[in-house]
Amino acid sequence: MRISYEWLGEYVDTSDLPARRAAEMLTMTGTKVESVEEVDLSAIIVGRVLEQREHPKSRNPLWIHQVDIGGEVRQIIAGAPNAGPGSLVPVALPGTVVPSGKEVRDARIAGEEGRGMLCSAAELKLSEDHAGILVLERGEPGQSLAELFPADAILECEITPNRPDCLGHMGVARELAAAARREMKVDFMPSFVPGGPPDRIPVSIEEPGLCRRYIGVAVRGARIEPSPEWMQRRLRAGGVRPINNAVDVTAYVMLEYGQPLHVFDLQKLEGPEIRVRRAHPGETLLCLDGQLRALTTAMLVIADAERPVAIGGVIGGQESGVTDNTTDLLLEAASFDGINVRATSRAFALRTEASLRNEKHLSSELALAAARRAAQLLVELTGGTVSGEWTDHYPVPQEPVRVSLEPWRIDALMGTVIPEEEARATLRRLGFHVRAEEGSWDVFPPVFRLDVAVPEDVIEEVGRIHGVDNVPPTLPGRRRTSWTALPTDRPLDRAAQVLLGGGFNEAVTPALVSGRRQERLGLGGAFSRLANPMSEELDAMRVSLLPSLLQATALNRNRGRLQVRFFEIARVYLASAGDAPLASEPSRISALATDLDFLLMKSVVGRLVLAVGAPAPSFERGQGPLFHPGRTATVKVGETTLGILGEIHPAVLAEFGLSGRATAFELDAEAVLSARAVRSTLSLPRFPAIERDLAVVVAEQVAAAGLLETIRGTAGDLLEALTAFDEYRSETIGAGLHSIAFALTFRSPDRTLTDSEVDQSMESIRRRLEADHGARGR
Amino acid sequence: MSDNLDAIRVEALARIAAAADEAALEQVRIDYLGRKGPIAEALAEMPRLPASERPLLGKAANEAKQAIAAAIEGHQAELERGRLANLGHSESIDVTFPAPPLGRGHQHVLSQVRRELEVIFERLGYHVEEGPEIESDWYNFEALNLPKGHASRDVHDTFFFGEEVVLRTHTSPVQIRAMERLKTPPIYIICPGRTYRKENLDATHLAGFMQLEGLAVDEGLTVGDLKGTLLYLVQSLFGPARQVRMRPHHFSYTEPSFEFDTLCGRCEGAGCRSCGQQGWLETGGCGMVHPQVLRNGGIDPDRYTGFAWGFGIERMALLKYDVEDLRLFYENDLRFNEQF
Repeated sequence: MRISYEWLGEYVDTSDLPARRAAEMLTMTGTKVESVEEVDLSAIIVGRVLEQREHPKSRNPLWIHQVDIGGEVRQIIAGAPNAGPGSLVPVALPGTVVPSGKEVRDARIAGEEGRGMLCSAAELKLSEDHAGILVLERGEPGQSLAELFPADAILECEITPNRPDCLGHMGVARELAAAARREMKVDFMPSFVPGGPPDRIPVSIEEPGLCRRYIGVAVRGARIEPSPEWMQRRLRAGGVRPINNAVDVTAYVMLEYGQPLHVFDLQKLEGPEIRVRRAHPGETLLCLDGQLRALTTAMLVIADAERPVAIGGVIGGQESGVTDNTTDLLLEAASFDGINVRATSRAFALRTEASLRNEKHLSSELALAAARRAAQLLVELTGGTVSGEWTDHYPVPQEPVRVSLEPWRIDALMGTVIPEEEARATLRRLGFHVRAEEGSWDVFPPVFRLDVAVPEDVIEEVGRIHGVDNVPPTLPGRRRTSWTALPTDRPLDRAAQVLLGGGFNEAVTPALVSGRRQERLGLGGAFSRLANPMSEELDAMRVSLLPSLLQATALNRNRGRLQVRFFEIARVYLASAGDAPLASEPSRISALATDLDFLLMKSVVGRLVLAVGAPAPSFERGQGPLFHPGRTATVKVGETTLGILGEIHPAVLAEFGLSGRATAFELDAEAVLSARAVRSTLSLPRFPAIERDLAVVVAEQVAAAGLLETIRGTAGDLLEALTAFDEYRSETIGAGLHSIAFALTFRSPDRTLTDSEVDQSMESIRRRLEADHGARGR
Repeated sequence: MSDNLDAIRVEALARIAAAADEAALEQVRIDYLGRKGPIAEALAEMPRLPASERPLLGKAANEAKQAIAAAIEGHQAELERGRLANLGHSESIDVTFPAPPLGRGHQHVLSQVRRELEVIFERLGYHVEEGPEIESDWYNFEALNLPKGHASRDVHDTFFFGEEVVLRTHTSPVQIRAMERLKTPPIYIICPGRTYRKENLDATHLAGFMQLEGLAVDEGLTVGDLKGTLLYLVQSLFGPARQVRMRPHHFSYTEPSFEFDTLCGRCEGAGCRSCGQQGWLETGGCGMVHPQVLRNGGIDPDRYTGFAWGFGIERMALLKYDVEDLRLFYENDLRFNEQF
């Protein structure tokens, strides 16, 4: 919301308050001022255009002006043609920096001298209007513009959605009055009541749920012309382009009160009468912005006896609009249902000054205040007449609000002491009425505040104006009878530590992914797809972290990093089967490496599972959609599956533009955590161990797991440790065979073993391996 | 014979004194004390000597042996002293040579900051609560005083799956779930996690981001308690000199509501480029829990009050490490990740 500080001065005394100080006060009491732009026009002077001709040579259209700047005539070139001879214009001479920041210099364009600049309203920061040179209504050549335009500052304010009353200058002025502890200069409700015979235009409201009040004021014998300079100036400052006196009055009062208004040409209304109803199927309206819009029955329209003439609370129709020839006006001040206005505005993707206010559900009392104010201004500016007895159809009167508040609760909630007198003065300045009884207040919020309903709302008003800077910071603390005990570290942290120690970088990747890609990767089926995605690339919730890690790998490879190790611990999202409305969101521990082979990656998994506190995992041949069919294992502890480990399928690598090999695993965090067991520490051995190696040759399809199991089963309790350390194939071994070497450690807890008993044990192992697996020695 | 031994001894002592290093000394030991050395040879002659001369020779040979051995030992100690004294030269390396990287991975900066935040609040007696990211309309909106069609929903550009199921737009739904689960105050929880808004990606906006939300419900909690908690947070995270500023604002689920800013660490409030000349850095939102929200969580608002706050974890990381583009957090370019 653009607030003109000069305009605010109309409602509250700001003469001794610099704009920046006021902005700070507003910010610290809840109206955040994003920026303050002070408008200083003292360096700009008035010029009178004596001659204007088109530039003869320039390729862009340019106009050459001879301008009297008071005792001197200068040639100035401009890009807009609207400053004809006789026009008074703002001139910036070379060396001047205009308020928009541009520095003016002598120029020579296609052979013509230009010695100064004719300014637009935007360049002077008088409005956002770039179109054309600002043509002044008065002034003497050579006079400083500061004498014509009062000093101003534009405050860009952020207005929260609960405070539509601050979408007008009067609302912001009231905030400033309370913050600066001063009184408002004007009353909210104008006292304007004209005389004359009744002049009621028939109004019917068919949808009182969508239109709570409709005021229609007929203005007869109006003269349509440009509005006076002061009004145009303020409209520009507020970001609105002046059109004519009738339309400008509606915009002016909107920027004053926050209540959108509309004027119709009364003679163009059939009847004339107004029907507030839902649009009929198939109805259309040519709107003020020149667009023809197809209406639906969900939308509220303002119609005459025949057809829609406006979309309620959003935009007016072109055909019923005010023109230079209009003599009789119908001023509309109405209260619409915010949700309906918002839905209509969204359906058309059309946000107007009116819709963005009406969608916040404005007070019905605001409509009356704005109608009175606008009627008064229309009479003054158009010379028309208004009857005191106009149409005010108000089927659902606004309920008065009363909030009971025990004043001690203000201090109790704020955690500081705010004197009662201060609290009551603040509420008064904000337009509240307080009826104080012993220990209890009845608080009546102002009619334009629909956001105050409970005691906390009133406490907020007092507290925010008091300022939180004055509240001493404290930490809560009392004797607690319940708590949640926390371990000093989290089990998954240990998993992360193993991976970090193993040289894996942690990745944090987006959970929104491409559903099509998930399907291509064979991850299809049960994933959640957005109904309103931003793009096809981000339309589904991921069901695996590995594609994200592959993508990060590809990104780094494209940027010159060939080898990476990544891990991520995050949720995946599995669409629920059956009736459950929400998905399940298990956490996964996933890692991917381009420079570790299967066995090293397996070692990482083993170490990780142990570090978390679970027993050593076992590995079985497995399958998974992203994995190599011959190089993949299921990770288990006992009968519980923890996840999958293996090489990434080459086709999957290709999907991400990767070549070579990559190994990866994905474990279910919950499964890993629930595999944790109570651990006890073994005492150190007291007797020496005997170590033996054993190499056997077996058929290729004989897996190590089976051999290990046989060795363990045969050796019995004295076998302390067993591992395989070498696996190879060669011509000398023979086709279809491979050799595996094992390292065995024997130890007894209560005596020193002898070589001969270990020899015996090794011999039975050899025999068993031969019998069960066809293994022969090497 | 003993004259001969004397000569050997003199010769050996001279060679010991001249030995420049361990190897030369070892050679002396072998030459004189070895199995084929002159002393061993002399002793080997013994059986051939008359019985009366044998003890004499034995004594002389032993003396010579001990003297030589002692001299070797002494010289060895001297050589060692010299070696140690010279280490600064003899084993000098180029300490300015660039180090190879330690083969350890880097924890992601968002994980680091999130963990830091969790620890800060755990010290104050809070614990972590979690909730679903695919969330019902009730928990994400309705229970937080955000009815359907309400203008306050506008800032929550929402992804949805169906009429009643959305991707949560903030971590606040966890507040309601936690109140329902824990039932009886005191409740001191934080809810970190991923949240989503349908925003176009740019340097300051992400479609998916992380928030950390906090909720305290207890008897007699005040705005002052909220302020102290935020101050504790900001000073723990950024250093004890940092101040917090609370600006009144509006959220439907808190009353009163505030936005809170952190004093800019670069200019200490004077205004600089890093804070957009404001002197303060927008940090998060907060307020006293709205009585209706307490009621929606099953808490009696006449007995208990509560406060809550929330902010983006990326925002905190950005403030702490001066990161210029939010997208870097999710890209995982290792040139970025490995800086942390």
